[in-house]
Amino acid sequence: MQLTVEKLSKRYGRAVQALRDVDLTLGPGVLGLLGPNGAGKSTLMRILATVTRPSSGRVMWNNSDIARSPDPLRDVLGYLPQDFGVYPNLNALEFLEYLAAVKGITAGAARKRIGELLELVNLTDAAKRPLGGYSGGMRQRVGIAQALLNDPQLLIVDEPTAGLDPEERVRFRNLLSELSGERIVILSTHIVSDVEAVATSIAILAHGQLLAHGAPEALLASVAGRVWEVVMPSAELPTLRQNHLVSSTAHRSDGVHARVVADVAPARDARPLEPSLEDAYLAALATQRNAAAGNAA
Amino acid sequence: MNQLRAISAIARADFLERVRRYGFLLTLLFAVFLGYAAATGRIAVQLGEYRGIYTSAWIGALIAITTTCFISLIGFYIVKSAIDRDRQTGVGQILAATPLSKAAYTLGKSLSNFAVLASMVVILAIAAIFMQIFVGEDPHFDGVALLAPFVLVAVPSMALTAALAVLFETLPVLRGGIGNVAWFFVWSILGIGLPEISGNHHVDPMGLMVVADSMIAGARANIPGYKDSFAFQIADSPVKIVQSFRWQGVAWTWEEILLRILWVGAALAVVLLAALVFDRFDSSRSLAPSWRRPKQPVGELDAIANSSTAETPRQSPATRAPAHLTPLAASGTTHAFGRLVLAELRLAVKGMRWWWYAVAAGLLVAQFAAPLDASRGPILSTAWMWLVLVWSGMGARESRFGTRALLFSSARILPRQLPACWLAGMAIAAVAGAGAGSRLLIARGWHGLVPWLAGAVFLPSLALALGVWSGSGKPFEAVFTALWYAGPMNHTAGIDFTGTASGANANHDALIYFALSGVLLGAAFVGRARQLRSD
Repeated sequence: MQLTVEKLSKRYGRAVQALRDVDLTLGPGVLGLLGPNGAGKSTLMRILATVTRPSSGRVMWNNSDIARSPDPLRDVLGYLPQDFGVYPNLNALEFLEYLAAVKGITAGAARKRIGELLELVNLTDAAKRPLGGYSGGMRQRVGIAQALLNDPQLLIVDEPTAGLDPEERVRFRNLLSELSGERIVILSTHIVSDVEAVATSIAILAHGQLLAHGAPEALLASVAGRVWEVVMPSAELPTLRQNHLVSSTAHRSDGVHARVVADVAPARDARPLEPSLEDAYLAALATQRNAAAGNAA
Repeated sequence: MNQLRAISAIARADFLERVRRYGFLLTLLFAVFLGYAAATGRIAVQLGEYRGIYTSAWIGALIAITTTCFISLIGFYIVKSAIDRDRQTGVGQILAATPLSKAAYTLGKSLSNFAVLASMVVILAIAAIFMQIFVGEDPHFDGVALLAPFVLVAVPSMALTAALAVLFETLPVLRGGIGNVAWFFVWSILGIGLPEISGNHHVDPMGLMVVADSMIAGARANIPGYKDSFAFQIADSPVKIVQSFRWQGVAWTWEEILLRILWVGAALAVVLLAALVFDRFDSSRSLAPSWRRPKQPVGELDAIANSSTAETPRQSPATRAPAHLTPLAASGTTHAFGRLVLAELRLAVKGMRWWWYAVAAGLLVAQFAAPLDASRGPILSTAWMWLVLVWSGMGARESRFGTRALLFSSARILPRQLPACWLAGMAIAAVAGAGAGSRLLIARGWHGLVPWLAGAVFLPSLALALGVWSGSGKPFEAVFTALWYAGPMNHTAGIDFTGTASGANANHDALIYFALSGVLLGAAFVGRARQLRSD
């Protein structure tokens, strides 16, 4: 089972280059796709889900081009888009039954699977109520259930935890971990902690370009020895922000505790820290920004 | 002052949002088409078998009443989305939390509607000028006579149409498909019915009678043997021209001008009425009929979904059993088409209330009980008309409810889902018209069933094609209502999709309907394939 992305580019009109020469090779496991808003994450997801076509490059699923023959992939695909709708007059059970029929799942298998999925997303008690009355979080859970209907080999989830309460978020992350052993899961989000919890590999996209792709350990290694804690009066924080990449701050009784990513200690009393994925992610974005500024200059 | 700024801001933003869509270009093209149809004599005013020569006044009046009739009918469907857009996009929730008054909001939306309709009026006014130059029947150009009908006839009727579109959107029962069907009849009454029903030609929102009365008076003086007939119609043969008849236009009196301005005042009153009934995007405050309201508020449902129950006690993530799914066996997938047809069938009729089924059943019983001619004609066509809101979702549902990404990422969606949807639509037509169908079969054999079958194939094909290409149920609701009224109700051969009006030619016309259905079905496939490629 392999998904290969080769020199993938997508352009909207003449002005917007959403993706530029993206290369990726994925096997079973969870890929955490990180990037700021507008990085091209959703475009990449839509191409991988066969909902839109690339302008150039190709995506191969088990050596078959998905733009030329999308059905072999669609047969084993589960897709949760970032924005999706539901039919408001159907209830969750009927909506899932409808999509099961569309996906070609037999009646008996669908019935059993839908029961399990409703239980899984905690909607069994609300399953027979019209979707039009569901909250955003409940609809999101219906979306998660439909993505898992056909027991997909490739599961693509775009901002899946948006609208979920913390408990449901943890539950969904656990589910992704459990599923990942036997399939490819692509999780797109801007919530680094979601990726940190489940991803076996991480890709960072910015301005349509792939900045990094590798194991979380490799990304963490890229900022090893470059993360510091500085304690200072709050008045000095703006100056620190101007000169260094500050990944987080916390106000305490002894001043502001700032987490800084820098090649050398940003202050004499700076204390080295264990790097987090968020530090690595912000450092990768900052490096790309600086390179772009350098090129522009 | 602040409210005035708010009104203009609402109108401006809504207008810009519309004109920056490709659909607006189509709207303007429709206006250009109307101008072309009038300029080439396809739409004409006839006084008996004649018309006067194309003076500035005649051309102005002709194009202005063309504008009034067609743009008020079609334009309503074009502009009736201003509030719905705010509802769908969530902008309404933001506006509801501001000090904006309901009257300012409805007035702003109405002004935006008016601006869209007025832009079409302007296109047609320009077309009128060109028409006089190119037709060249009268070299004398009179700008006032040419433009006065646009200002005094078309503009007030556009204001009324714009306001009524807002009112329809604020009334929950008229917000959706029922309103789209109802508009056809409201439009018929406003345009022709009111002056006739009231017997008073001043009660004339669309202003057609002012023009008609003036032209009739002119014809009496200029056309020998003229018998007061006036027809504004799609002309199928050239109209004879009376060279001596130079109509100089309506002699607008202050009373008539004031009456026309009063219709703008009526439009304002309609907007204020809309403000009164507008729910300010709070569905719980809405005067929505009980069947449209959710049975349980969202918060309550959330609580149910998350609540502890005796059977399924809620546990913390740490203590809860890990989520587990049984793997789907290879035998768990199939390409059985029948299940998908059934699923589409259920999707199509889901949400219909008991009384909808009761009326459909009543119409079915009537088909068995009534004489055969009534059964296969008006009763069958009404039974199918009753399905308008079921069919209007076909092909459009995926765009309307945002499920395209979910469906389009499924395998073999084009060869499976679209035919399944079409077959479901046909099955519904067959069941709703089973009374007339079975009686035709018994009385006249398979040969007699052909026109019935053509109707049952044609209507869902039309719905599917219009739904796929427009992404909305509105075009089908409008076109089907107009077809039903013009065809079966007015017994017009060729347009009557039940075939009753065609008499001996019923099977010949049925073949045309079959061919048309094939074209429409092909169009639906092409449209859906395009969506699959370009999404």
